[in-house]
Amino acid sequence: MSEEEADFDVIIIGCGMAGMACAAQLLKEGVEGDRILVVDRGEPVGAKNLSGGILWGRELDELDDIFPNWEMDNPGIERYINNKKIGFLSSDDAFIMEGKFASWDGIGGTSEPSMRTGWSVLRARTDAWFAEKLEEAGVFIMPGIKIDQLNIEGLDHTSYTARDLTSPAEDSGRGKNQKWRISNFDPEIVDAIRNGKIRGIVQDGEVMTSNVVVIAEGSNSILTRSYAFDSMIHAQDRHGIILGVKEVIHLGEEEINSRFGCYSGDDERPPSGMAMEAALAIFDDMAEKAWEEYPVTAGLVPRAGGWLYTNKDTLSIGVVIQLDSLPSGIHTYDMLAAYKAHPAIAPLIRGGETVEYGAHLVPEYGLDRMPTRLVRDGAVVIGDAAGLVYSNGAVIQGQNYSIHSGKLAAKVIANCIGSGDFSEKALGQYKKDLDASYVMRDLKRFKTTAKFLADDANYTWVPKFMGTMFNRVVREIGEEKITVEKQAMRLRKEMRRKDRKTKKGMGLLNLIRLGMMGRKL
Amino acid sequence: MTEKAKIGLFEYDVKNGLGLIGYNVDEHEHAHIIVDTKKCGDCDSMMCVWGCPAQCYQFRDVGLDEMKFQYEDCVECGTCFLMCTDGALSWNHPRGGFGITYTYG
Repeated sequence: MSEEEADFDVIIIGCGMAGMACAAQLLKEGVEGDRILVVDRGEPVGAKNLSGGILWGRELDELDDIFPNWEMDNPGIERYINNKKIGFLSSDDAFIMEGKFASWDGIGGTSEPSMRTGWSVLRARTDAWFAEKLEEAGVFIMPGIKIDQLNIEGLDHTSYTARDLTSPAEDSGRGKNQKWRISNFDPEIVDAIRNGKIRGIVQDGEVMTSNVVVIAEGSNSILTRSYAFDSMIHAQDRHGIILGVKEVIHLGEEEINSRFGCYSGDDERPPSGMAMEAALAIFDDMAEKAWEEYPVTAGLVPRAGGWLYTNKDTLSIGVVIQLDSLPSGIHTYDMLAAYKAHPAIAPLIRGGETVEYGAHLVPEYGLDRMPTRLVRDGAVVIGDAAGLVYSNGAVIQGQNYSIHSGKLAAKVIANCIGSGDFSEKALGQYKKDLDASYVMRDLKRFKTTAKFLADDANYTWVPKFMGTMFNRVVREIGEEKITVEKQAMRLRKEMRRKDRKTKKGMGLLNLIRLGMMGRKL
Repeated sequence: MTEKAKIGLFEYDVKNGLGLIGYNVDEHEHAHIIVDTKKCGDCDSMMCVWGCPAQCYQFRDVGLDEMKFQYEDCVECGTCFLMCTDGALSWNHPRGGFGITYTYG
């Protein structure tokens, strides 16, 4: 088959941030549009896509010959962010830090480099526009297409089905001993699926060949797991995976402007907006009831964050939940209800009409949880499917990493098209480039962050401590004034008396440990 | 505020939320998630029930003796596939053209 010309040079699976950037960069590298096929499950493209969502970073600037005037013309780029808030919410209180930066307006005249740095986005809309522009540039876009299998050279695709890859075997064990139906197949077939040359895709029984397949399928990465870029068991471990549950609430442009202190855009800028993220310690009562009813997970503290972003005439609001911290007895969507009802949040969304509900996984794996390989003979994995997300609570990046990985892959693939070598070794340059890029640099430099974010302290006593401290330092109710240090010592003592868990959590060694991790954020 | 919310227990009207998403539901024979509910019997954590943001799984939480699964409301997030430790789940995306449609995202 390799002797014949492939149907396409490149087939890209998924037209999200990673896939669309890869296609655009391929065009920039001189690959003909009609040699690139982009397939997407959504119809129209973007219909399956959802993010929090803020797009940070100016990755799109480099692609503006394909996506001209993207900041103003893309209907899903809602507001640029010049107002960032980081909060700590406990059941009673909220302590929220706020920054409002003139330099983020990007109009010059400030002491900091003046640049718009982030935008609220609605992905069903942004991605439909990206697809439209790629199509105008000559790329084949096929919406409403789900890829069942990858085409492996020398392997008849009818010798197994997509279901065999993701269904437990009859003789499967439980937990770590899970086995998939495919493992009981002829070892030659299994080996071809895991290590053979990938040469295109299979959809509805029909093979389309390509020299390279780019897997940009997103966080629910069925193909990446099935085709052994990662072991299914490794990928199925829910440690390090987050579920985002979200609402879009319509409030009207004017109301958002006045409620959040934003201003309307002009010819050069979209309207300005606010991005808030918060650590949540607001589920005490829910957790206690859950522990009582389901002792099997008693003591498990839901580690969750909340966000609120302004779009042009809507708000994006939601919670992210670390799935390995969810106790039995708490529904993820009920956590969204608790967040929406919090006294610091409720007034901000009051009077709004919910216009959409949705949920999506976030692959905030950290380094140790990324797929074990990102390159195979004839295929690469980019974006969320590759686990390229970083967050330390204050900085949350993923969409820009996706774009960057797409660009890096495209540059390597363009070279491979030139040389005609699509081997794992040749395509492996992508992994090297990724390792050398700011994406992996960030992930490596801040590798302790995942541990810090998985520490119960941030979802129990830390938000409570912050809120109560601030309250006591700034209030005036006739009590004797003491220094901040004394106030902190006193509060710590008081809180440690409450229960054994807090006593241990606020112990000196634990504080030192947290501080050590916190320094590396 | 409901009585439950007053004591710190909140309930989200998930059916209302799901009603805001566009669906094109495929026929039963093409259901994208298949649950072998026989394997769910002695599962005591029922993590699919708690994790699923679309209430596709109902079991002892609502007083049922048997796992009741429906794929129709699924938002295709993949959480249940990660949550199940009993090998009861077979997961795939819906066929092209079927499943959810977000208009905001």
